[in-house]
Amino acid sequence: MGQITYRQAISEALWEEMERDKEVFLYGEDIGLGGGAFYITKGFQEHFGRDRVVDVPLSEAGWTGAAIGAALTGMRPVIEFQFADFVTESFKMIVDLAAGNHFRQMGPVPLVIRLPGAALVSAGPFHSQNPEPWFFGTPGLKIIAPTTAYDAKGMLKTAIRDNNPVIYLEYKKLYNYPVNELPDILRPDIPSDDYTVPFGEARTLREGEDVSLVTFGTTVLQALEAADILEEEGVSTEVIDMRSILPYDKEAILRTVEKTGKLLILHEARKHGGISGEFAAVVAEEAFEHLDAPIQRVGATNTPIPLSPPLENAYLPSTQKVVDALRELAAY
Amino acid sequence: MSETTAERAGIPATSDELARLDYFEDLRDRYLSLDGLDAKWHSFERENSYPSFETCMRLHYFMSHTRAVEETLDSAFRSGHIPGTAYFARGNEAASVGSASCLRDEEWLVPMHRNCGAHLVKGHPARSIMAHFFGRMDGPSRGRDGNFHIGYRPKKITQLISHIGSMIPVAAGIAWAEKARGTGRATLTYIGDGGTSTGDFHEGVNFAAVHKLPVVFIIDNNQYAYKTLLKEQYACKSLILKAPGYGIPGFLIDGTDILLVRKICSEAIDRARAGEGPTLIESVTMRLAGHSVYDKYSDYVDLENLRRWTNERDPLERYDTFLEESGMATIEEISASHARARADAETARDEALKSPFPDPATLNDDVYAP
Ligand SMILES: Cc1ncc(C[n+]2csc(CCOP(=O)(O)OP(=O)(O)O)c2C)c(N)n1
Ligand SMILES: [Mg+2]
Repeated sequence: MGQITYRQAISEALWEEMERDKEVFLYGEDIGLGGGAFYITKGFQEHFGRDRVVDVPLSEAGWTGAAIGAALTGMRPVIEFQFADFVTESFKMIVDLAAGNHFRQMGPVPLVIRLPGAALVSAGPFHSQNPEPWFFGTPGLKIIAPTTAYDAKGMLKTAIRDNNPVIYLEYKKLYNYPVNELPDILRPDIPSDDYTVPFGEARTLREGEDVSLVTFGTTVLQALEAADILEEEGVSTEVIDMRSILPYDKEAILRTVEKTGKLLILHEARKHGGISGEFAAVVAEEAFEHLDAPIQRVGATNTPIPLSPPLENAYLPSTQKVVDALRELAAY
Repeated sequence: MSETTAERAGIPATSDELARLDYFEDLRDRYLSLDGLDAKWHSFERENSYPSFETCMRLHYFMSHTRAVEETLDSAFRSGHIPGTAYFARGNEAASVGSASCLRDEEWLVPMHRNCGAHLVKGHPARSIMAHFFGRMDGPSRGRDGNFHIGYRPKKITQLISHIGSMIPVAAGIAWAEKARGTGRATLTYIGDGGTSTGDFHEGVNFAAVHKLPVVFIIDNNQYAYKTLLKEQYACKSLILKAPGYGIPGFLIDGTDILLVRKICSEAIDRARAGEGPTLIESVTMRLAGHSVYDKYSDYVDLENLRRWTNERDPLERYDTFLEESGMATIEEISASHARARADAETARDEALKSPFPDPATLNDDVYAP
C-alpha cells in the first residue's frame, strides 16, 4: 500500500507487465537511452534490454504499423507517442488497420497506444490536443482516460492484457502532480499486489442530490473544486469520473440523472464534436422523463488551441466556467 | 593536370571510404558529391569563393545576430517572458544563414524549427520573432502559436506545424506552383536528421524528383533528434546516400563553414531556377545545446564529441577567424559587427515586450478565411 504519482503509476504498470509477460515490449521515440520525454521509462532499457525497450526512428506511421504486425503474431506492444498530437501521423494504421481487424475475422490486435495529451500551460496548438474525439467514432477501439494513479496503473494493466487496440490517454498535467495536493478522493492507496481496473465502469467521486456533473480527464479537478464551491452555496453536486470513454458506463450516467434530474457534462476537449454530445444524446434518448432542466455542457471553444495565456485561458474550461454552469442549472 | 584542377573535378570516393565515413574527420576542407552512384571528393577552394566585402560582412552580421537573438530569447525564457517552451539552434547559424542568403526576395523559404538564421537573413525582423515567442499581438500568429512554429508571409516564409516531415511535401508543392507558373524561382527547405525517417520526407522528395521541381532540400544533420542517436535513426553511413535512390544529385558538406554552405546552396538553387530539378544537401553540424530549454542535455550527450565540435566547429568562431586571417576584415570591423548584431537583438526584445497580449475577445476571430 502506498501513494505514488500518476507518472510513477504508469511506469510501475509497464514495468510489472513486462516482468509478468515476455511478449510485452515498448516502441517509442527517445524512450530507451533518454527514458522518454516525460521519463516514464527511465531505467527500463538497462533492465529489459534494447529489444524490449526500443528507441525507434522518427516515423510514427512506420512503427505503429510494425507494432500491429508484431501484435498479429501474438506479441503485446505498448507504443508511446511523444505527444498525443502526433498520433495523427498514425491515423490510418490505427483506425483502418488495427481497429477493424478482428471484425474482418483477421485476428485480434493486442496493442496499447499511449498518448500524453491535453493542455499544459501554453504548450500551443500541437502539444495540447485532446485526441479522443478523433477516435470515438471508430468501432474496434477502446479509449481509456484515467485520472488517478490507482486507475492509471490498474487500467494500463487491463489495457495490456486486453486483446484489442486500446487508446490510453495520459494527462501531462497530472504526471508529476504532487500527491499531497490532490483531493483525498483522487489519491486512493495503491495495493502492493497485482490489481487491475476494469474498463467501462465509472467512479462516483462525490455523492450529491441536486445536480450531476459527469466528466473525465484533468477536468475532474475542476469538477471537484466547483462542487466544493457549490456546496457552500447549499447546492449538492454528484461528481462522476467516467474513466473509460469507449466503452463508457451508460448506466452510471442514467442513474445519476434519475437521481438529480439535472446534468452538466464537462471535458477539456472542444464542446463541438466532443464526447459530451454522445452522453447528452443517450440521456435525451433514454432518460428524458427524468430531466428537470436542459442538459448543459462545458468544454473548450470551437477554435484551434491558441498558445498565448489570455487566449488559452479563454479557450479552456475552468473552475469558474463550471461553477457558473452549475449555478445556472441549480437555479433552473 | 595540376592537383587543384583534379580536385575541382573531384576524386572518386571508394565504397570503402564511404563505409568508414566520419562526419568530423572526413569533411575537413572538402565535400562529397553524389551523382547517381558516382561519388566524388572535392576540395573546397575557398580562395575562389570569396564573396565581396559587403557580402562577407552581411553574412557575418546575420550569423552573429542569429546567435544574439537566440541567446536573448533564452534569457527572456529564464526571466519568464516565454509561455511554453523554446527551441534554439546553436551551431546551425552558418547552415541557416549561408543557405537562405542565396534566395531572392520573391522566392519562398520553408524553414524548420532550427532555422532562426534563415528567417533573419530572409528579412523576418527579430522583434516579430520575439513578439511571437512572447505570445504577443505583434508576432505573426498574433499569439495563436509560439516557439519556432512561425512563418512570415510578407517575406515569403511559410509557417510550420510541429509534426516533423510535414513541410517537405509542402515545399515540393510550392515548387510545383513556381514551375507551373514558369516563374524560374527556386524554393528552399530544411529537415532534421530525425525528420528524414518520416514517410512525408520520402513522399515529398520523391514527388519533387519525379516532377523535376525547383526545390532544394537541406538536411540539417545535427547528430541528434531530441535524445535519439544517429545510429538509432538510420543504418546508412550518410543521409546523402538517399539522393541516388530518388534520382537527384546529393552533396555532403560541413555545415559549419558558411562559405562552403553558400557555394553549394547557390549552385543548387541556380540549377533549380534553370529547371534542372531538386538537390539534396546534407549539412553536418552539431546541436551545441539541448533540444529545448527544458532538456537535460548532459544526461545523454557524448561530452567528448560536444567538446570537439564546440572548440573546432563553432560556425561563428570559425568565420571570425577566417575573416581575420584572410584579411577580409579587421578585428575592429568584426567586433563592431558583433556589437551591432547584439544591440539589434536587445532592442528587438525591448520592442517586442511592449507589444500587447491578445484580447481574449478575439479568440473566435479568423477560424475561417473571409
Ligand atoms: C511527427 C513528430 N514526431 C515527434 C515529434 C517530437 N519531436 C520534436 S523535435 C524532435 C526531434 C527532431 O529531430 P531532427 O529531425 O533531427 O531535428 P532537430 O531537432 O535535431 O533539429 C522530435 C522527436 C515531432 N515534432 N513530430
Ligand atoms: Mg537532428
